[in-house]
Amino acid sequence: MMEDQEEKGNAENGIGRQKQVKDEYLLQFLDSLDGYLTLLDSLSSTLSQGWLELASARHAMGASRINGALLDLKVHAAATSLKVSEQDVDSMESQPCFTLCKWASSDNGERSSGEEKSLSPQLRHRNNSQLSGIISSPVSFSHFFNFFLSCEEEKVSTRTGTPLILVDQQRQKSLSVFGVLVSPKLRSAQLSFERALETLVEIANLHTTMLSMFEQVHKELENTNG
Amino acid sequence: MANRPQIRTAASALIAMIADEYASSVSRTMQQPYMFDHLLMQVHCWDTVVGFLLAGVGNVDLRRKTNYLIVDSKTTIKQIEDAFKEFTSREDIAIVLISQYVANRIRFLVDSHNKPIPAILEIPSKDHPYDPAQDSVLSRVKNLVSVESVASDRR
Repeated sequence: MMEDQEEKGNAENGIGRQKQVKDEYLLQFLDSLDGYLTLLDSLSSTLSQGWLELASARHAMGASRINGALLDLKVHAAATSLKVSEQDVDSMESQPCFTLCKWASSDNGERSSGEEKSLSPQLRHRNNSQLSGIISSPVSFSHFFNFFLSCEEEKVSTRTGTPLILVDQQRQKSLSVFGVLVSPKLRSAQLSFERALETLVEIANLHTTMLSMFEQVHKELENTNG
Repeated sequence: MANRPQIRTAASALIAMIADEYASSVSRTMQQPYMFDHLLMQVHCWDTVVGFLLAGVGNVDLRRKTNYLIVDSKTTIKQIEDAFKEFTSREDIAIVLISQYVANRIRFLVDSHNKPIPAILEIPSKDHPYDPAQDSVLSRVKNLVSVESVASDRR
């Protein structure tokens, strides 16, 4: 009699724990779903801002200077990449975890120095063609001054090599596809799209969590119905 | 532990992009030959990809293959499908960004992708805002919820 009551009690506890686990999975799933939708909304706003800044830059610099034909089709590695690691969900399952590595210089030092070398002749070429038009205008003198400052910074960076300056170098290299002197709006667009990338990586992580929780909830529902 | 699915880890993986944008308005301030209009159309079409390339995502390998595809009016469904299959089979790509408008054109292929890597993220484009109802993952969730509510009604 006592044993029967004990068994009944254990069974009830077991069912209660199962329900708790199911509720946990469901809550985690709903949380990740909510986060996913919120981040997508934030992404839409960031992208809209980026598009607007790109359009402003095109208006300021001219459509011929922000042109698809200028895109760099030379062999080059991505300066911004992802690190994919494994994250344990439980003993039977793991999910990928994405980490954004922004403007991470290549591990292959040879390659990165090669890219820098190929950049400088282009800069000199663009210098000669653009400076003659720029100096004549008083408004553009500030652009010339900013360019002079960035050259000085580059000299400092080769001496000190601090990460922040390397990041700025990578940014400048990415912008240099559209010329040496670019509109501040293009720089703002670059920052907006960098923010969008960060949001996208967060979305990717929530996406995998959501899918993982969805599978768990689905399994639990099937077990309940079965 | 032996039955755990293997997750492909990577120290440095790429982000691939399949983006579209059709020029919503091509301003014709003066009469130009077709080539100029085509260039202008391309400028309008490249905004999303150009933006992400500015953020340093662009990669061109030794075979001159890029990690992005611009979808314009001349791109066929087959080309989009081939690019999607290529990006999802490459070992060095961890995330594929695809405009939701383009994803709708190859919806069957996008929905049938069920691997964790690469993660397929549907993003809005300039002319087509994001619609949660069309998202691959969210529509799967919606189907499950609607099936369960029907099943519980029957019980």
